[in-house]
Amino acid sequence: MPANSVRASKTPTPAANRDHAAAPEDLFESKAAATAVVPQRVADLRFGQVGIGQLKLHSLDPALVFGEVEARVQAAPQLFAMAPVVLDLSALPSPPTLAELNALIASVHGAGLRPVGLAAGDDATAALARAIDWPLFAKFRPERDPTPAIEAIPAAVAEVVAIEPAPAPEPVIVEVPVEARAVGQHHAEPVRSGQRLYARGTDLTVAAMVGHGAEVIADGSIHLYGVLRGRALAGARGDTSARIYCQNFQAELIAIAGQYRVFEEPVAELHGKAVQAWLEGDKLKLAPLS
Amino acid sequence: MTEIIVVTSGKGGVGKTTSSASIAMGLARRGKRVAVIDFDVGLRNLDLIMGCERRVVYDFVNVIQGEASLKQALIKDKRFDSLHVLAASQTRDKDALTKEGVERVLNELKEMNFEYILCDSPAGIEKGAFLAMYFADHAIVVVNPEVSSVRDSDRILGLLSSKTRHAETGEKRISQHLLLTRYNPDRVERGDMMSIADVQEILGLEVLGVVPESESVLAGSNAGNPVILDAASPAGQAYDDAVARLLGDKVPMRFTEAQKKGFLTRLFGG
Repeated sequence: MPANSVRASKTPTPAANRDHAAAPEDLFESKAAATAVVPQRVADLRFGQVGIGQLKLHSLDPALVFGEVEARVQAAPQLFAMAPVVLDLSALPSPPTLAELNALIASVHGAGLRPVGLAAGDDATAALARAIDWPLFAKFRPERDPTPAIEAIPAAVAEVVAIEPAPAPEPVIVEVPVEARAVGQHHAEPVRSGQRLYARGTDLTVAAMVGHGAEVIADGSIHLYGVLRGRALAGARGDTSARIYCQNFQAELIAIAGQYRVFEEPVAELHGKAVQAWLEGDKLKLAPLS
Repeated sequence: MTEIIVVTSGKGGVGKTTSSASIAMGLARRGKRVAVIDFDVGLRNLDLIMGCERRVVYDFVNVIQGEASLKQALIKDKRFDSLHVLAASQTRDKDALTKEGVERVLNELKEMNFEYILCDSPAGIEKGAFLAMYFADHAIVVVNPEVSSVRDSDRILGLLSSKTRHAETGEKRISQHLLLTRYNPDRVERGDMMSIADVQEILGLEVLGVVPESESVLAGSNAGNPVILDAASPAGQAYDDAVARLLGDKVPMRFTEAQKKGFLTRLFGG
């Protein structure tokens, strides 16, 4: 996905005074007009997609949150360790106090994620964000669940939801990522335990086996023409349309755009079969290829 | 032309040193000029299994650090004149090895017209194992028919195709061979040991040889006589077959089928 960029100059422009939440299209156009006058480049402000997760908290208990988040991080450390997340407080049983929030932040941090802001919600959340001087992320638009019955479901103490990429505005200055390639990356050697293969900005095709404990990662889709015994992670930078195709499925873990599934036990309908995986909403689906 | 062969596995206790000793012996018995180097600095074993532990004066580390010449440190085997052993140091650790030092020793061995240099790797994937494999042209990965050994071998095969000189320069591929040791066809038949086919399928490689589990291996090691010298032992014959295949001969696999038990052995136990 192409990142959009604008050039900011020292010279104040009308856009420079705008709120961050201004519609990106306006910002781009006025900035572009400004660069025509002052061509020197001081800083590039880019509104592109970055890998950032949303952590919806369902419990105020720091220990519970730590346990749940740590389990997630440990299950897929290459996905989650040090990953930036925005905390969504909308599902908490009650708005947290400043002390409670700090404890939750410390838990999430301690579990391996890196909280970088709060998801904008009600006034209480905005006040908390001001109190700890943290950014508010408006894009998530959380709504407080009207039915408190949801809290009776014990399974979810916290859930990690991958963010849908924002629709790309028509860019004025297009910076095509240098890595973007029309033809995907091809690999013909076996990917052995402990090896990691990453196709940046494109699809990955492996015409050999992927061993236990090996990882194949692509920003696009993954096509495997050997046995997959290790891990396959497609849409590594959040492309939810990425898919995984595999000729002989015996995977330990697969993930698309951050949604993952581990296979502790072989699934009879999939094991050893040709399988594809894709995302429907934030649900990871798998089915035999017929 | 000198071929450098690393004998490695990742996992410990699978039979690297036993295999290094037997393969070196087998190559020498076929008239090849062979040097075998123990890279397991700090846990030196190769000299014991080769039966020359009381003749070690200088070792690999002494040569690397310039305290002795290679000629002084090489121990000539009493059975085969064309076989030489370079022992590891028992008193140092793996940090005593350097890439430059190892390369210098290997180059000196090449100048001495050795046809084969066997590098007996320590277990693990740390410095000693890394240096043992780094300059290799061929790799013999010793694997036991059990899951952890197979997994570690997969890891080592990955390192062989990425962390060696040939992989880094990209000029040629390191040739990889599997040597399956401690194979017990009876236990495979009962289903409590992985079969040759299982191991080959998981690792995606054909085996160079299959050495059956045998009491003569331990007996030979303890006596300082590598099992390949025991013509009556199936393990010794299997090692000799593997050496023949390494040299390009076509030799059928032996000792891979469970023994058919006769009426009397079934009656009285075998």
